[in-house]
Amino acid sequence: MNRRRFLSTVGTTGVAVTALPTMIDNFAVKAIAGGGERLHRLMGGSDKILILIQLQGGNDGLNTVIPYTDQRYYDARPRIGISKQQALRLTDTLGLHPRLTGFRDLYEQGKMAVVQGVTYPNPDRSHFRGTDIWLTATDADVFGTSGWVGRYLDVLAPDFPSVLPPSPLAVQIGTSLSLGLLGPKGAMGVTFRDPDEFYRMVNSGGAIEEVPFADHGDTPAGREVRFMRDVARSADVYADVVKGAADKGATSGVAYPSTDIGGKLRVVSQLISGGLQTKVFLVSWANNNFDTHANQTSASDATVGNHANLLGELSDAVAAFMQDMKQLGLEDKVAGMTFSEFGRRVAENGSVGTDHGTSAPLFVFGSEVNGAVYGADPDLVNLDDRGDMLMQHDYRDVYAAVLLQWFAEPSSLASQILYHDFSSTALPLFKVPVSVHEDASRSSMIGFRSIAPNPAMSDVTVKVDIGPFADGGVDLRDLTGRLLGTAPVDAFSGTARFNVSSLTAGTYVLTLRSGSAATHTLLHVTR
Amino acid sequence: MAEGTIDLSPYTTPLTLQDAYHLVRRATFHPSFSAASALVGKGAGQAVQQLLAVEPPVSLPSWANDPPALTQETGPPLWTELQQWWVGQTLQHSAALEVMVAMWHNHFTSDYLTVYASQWMVKQSMLLRTNAWNFKALGENIVGDPAMLRYLNGNQSIKGNPNENFAREWFELFALGIGNYTEFDIVEAARAFTGWRIVGKDSEYSRQLADLGNKTIFGQTGPWEYGDVIRLTLEQEACSRFIATRLIRTFVEFYPSAEAIDAVAAEIRANNYQLQPVLQKLLSSVYFYQTTVRGALIKSPLQLAVGLAAVTQTTNVHPLFVVRSMIDLTMTPFFPPTVEGWKGHHAWINSSTFPNRQRFGESYIDGRMAGTSTKLTTRDGADLVIDLVNVVRQLPDHDNAQAVVDHVCELLLPVQTSTEQKAVLLDIMMAGLPASYWDIDGPTANSRLRLLFQSIVRMPEYQLM
Repeated sequence: MNRRRFLSTVGTTGVAVTALPTMIDNFAVKAIAGGGERLHRLMGGSDKILILIQLQGGNDGLNTVIPYTDQRYYDARPRIGISKQQALRLTDTLGLHPRLTGFRDLYEQGKMAVVQGVTYPNPDRSHFRGTDIWLTATDADVFGTSGWVGRYLDVLAPDFPSVLPPSPLAVQIGTSLSLGLLGPKGAMGVTFRDPDEFYRMVNSGGAIEEVPFADHGDTPAGREVRFMRDVARSADVYADVVKGAADKGATSGVAYPSTDIGGKLRVVSQLISGGLQTKVFLVSWANNNFDTHANQTSASDATVGNHANLLGELSDAVAAFMQDMKQLGLEDKVAGMTFSEFGRRVAENGSVGTDHGTSAPLFVFGSEVNGAVYGADPDLVNLDDRGDMLMQHDYRDVYAAVLLQWFAEPSSLASQILYHDFSSTALPLFKVPVSVHEDASRSSMIGFRSIAPNPAMSDVTVKVDIGPFADGGVDLRDLTGRLLGTAPVDAFSGTARFNVSSLTAGTYVLTLRSGSAATHTLLHVTR
Repeated sequence: MAEGTIDLSPYTTPLTLQDAYHLVRRATFHPSFSAASALVGKGAGQAVQQLLAVEPPVSLPSWANDPPALTQETGPPLWTELQQWWVGQTLQHSAALEVMVAMWHNHFTSDYLTVYASQWMVKQSMLLRTNAWNFKALGENIVGDPAMLRYLNGNQSIKGNPNENFAREWFELFALGIGNYTEFDIVEAARAFTGWRIVGKDSEYSRQLADLGNKTIFGQTGPWEYGDVIRLTLEQEACSRFIATRLIRTFVEFYPSAEAIDAVAAEIRANNYQLQPVLQKLLSSVYFYQTTVRGALIKSPLQLAVGLAAVTQTTNVHPLFVVRSMIDLTMTPFFPPTVEGWKGHHAWINSSTFPNRQRFGESYIDGRMAGTSTKLTTRDGADLVIDLVNVVRQLPDHDNAQAVVDHVCELLLPVQTSTEQKAVLLDIMMAGLPASYWDIDGPTANSRLRLLFQSIVRMPEYQLM
């Protein structure tokens, strides 16, 4: 009467994922030693966690980040436009929706990046194509079958699903599993609403022996049976793991709002604090309620109504989550990102709503995020033939930043995941820790202390430690490894200076050299 | 998945029991032994004709003709009654029409939260039923259906400032599929779909309110009104392919080849979007009976739950339990997650739903609601009696333990059960006793069969059909 026999017949479990930092170090050594070879992002940080928050239905970007000094905004939206007085001021020209108070606070603390005008070439206005494109990270005319997160996790766990990592690589809090979490070999994540419920469900059938798996060959039915066997195995193994983490998880006492999204982020927090080694959490809520074709706002007050409520739920839940993380001492481990399949039309329609549009802002938040507004204010003059805004940033410039900076992966891997090389346009969204040392004897002696300002526009002062060595220098390279400049380190002050005013906006690598030792960090240039 | 050529010519071999199971699993929600065995030896054409001809009676809920229940006090209490009404219909009547109605519910979607008044939802359900075999009539009637007008904002789409919601989904999700229309077609169609408003339980089209100006749709210019959009859409070959894909995914396989889609689309056009002859041909074709498509579909929660009631001869179960089970398994009747409906197939299965499906089946056979100690009851409130001895007694050779395992596997599973699996199942049923001790009249027969059925419904193969 051993139902676990089912498991034991199909493979081992609990084998650790490939040690990531080693791979990066090896790669880094090779890349630098090769000199002319492509240079890569060089950081540790493999314990970083990404929280993806999906705003299903197409979030209205213009009423989320409001260009309150642009009269064209008010002309296009006589009924639903949010007034300058009511917008929460971010910059001299931009304000947040009045219900995004939590986001405003994070922005003021430097923990919120607002990326303007995000979409992709030839944007699709279908919910379902749009969603699939964002999840699969493909060009608009490519029909992908695996998610970008799923492909990344597949690289981390190459023997999945016959060998399962000790923690689920991805978790979706909900009842369905997103295409984004599908890898080339199946579902890379697990989904559940509640850890206890998940555990009870999986362990309900304990009384009888599990019937052994049968191979039905390479037929449609055979493929479906294998697919379900893998899902069942993941569920069986991870229900215990998840419950264990949830039971261990601490709470800081922060009160989460009693909304669906609030409850989901509370579970995420509980699992992270309980030590679940999951790289990516995905949450969404409210079905497709962001699809505000009608009654987006109340007819009499543009600051209340359906869209306002959704944004309020989002902001309040994220604010609670970030506060919780901070109090638990986990703030530097997590970063979050919102996304939605498209923004909405500039002009309101006749039913106090907006139809499907194209580009929109998204948010990236966390203590390790370089809080800023990325990109220009919405251009409401140059619209496409449908009256929709043009692209400022490809959504994959954000994904690339996540892979390169947050997960500290080499650009070769990011290019493999995203099908194109976005490393030169990746936005400098994350603070970059110094990490890689190549000469053990000197490495503990040298390091970057500060880079100011970063992002930079012209003069940059780099402060370093080079210990007793007097031979230090700092190299500046672009992401292809091309040497752009070298500055000596003043031994007395420990500083090196660059002027970057001739460089285009983007991300660059600084290498501190001392003898055969070297260490690297990133410099961001803005224009 | 299908290889190269698609053979829609008639399958001429008289149906075996396995063929008949395959047919009733796909064409009805009641894949029971009695339903299948009644078709054994018949020609496929005749068997299918018999299934398609059934016109189940419908009794409307008592409140169906009341004014729309639109207040917080009157609206929501009817939602569960609405769900039970429809699910009850699928429990009570075995007919291909019920599968068609369910298919259209997942095609021309609406949800009760947006629509709010269950009277409108019933009306839409009846519209889908009445026109289930005629796609043209479905299109013409759905435009002004009050529930649809509310769900996709047609009632708020006004001349001069139209709302594109319905127009876009008409092309993308209802009739053509992506890539077969332009953004400009959407703009123009949205204008042509204006002029509707809801009046009480019904709706009204007013040419005064409609935009009667010239529009260009698919390159044709005229003062098009809503009916013209439907006509122009159906003239597109893509429309027949879109509907063909829907039919094949519902009845045959989830990943049809382009050849299969083209072949069925040609039938749809030849029959001017009358679908009964198309389905007649499809379900009696060589294509339908080939072994590669058997077991190729994953059951929806509706098919899982009603099917289990049918094979255990307990379709008198109270629909409330079926509705609750469906909700647990992520298919809330009349509440699809998006306007695209439930994606189906793989999307039904994940780390939560798979164990939940196992628990559902296992609990049902115990006469319990999954995850609770609540006993299942009949429509009349009596305890539900699941008499597996009576179910198995109808199967051949039920005095032989091995034959019982074989025939129950054949009843419950659409693919061959391996020798090793059958050996384990026999062990489970006999609980250590030799097979020769099997006695269908004995006091332990029902509990042994319960273990057998419970073990089978936990298998991944049971999720297939």
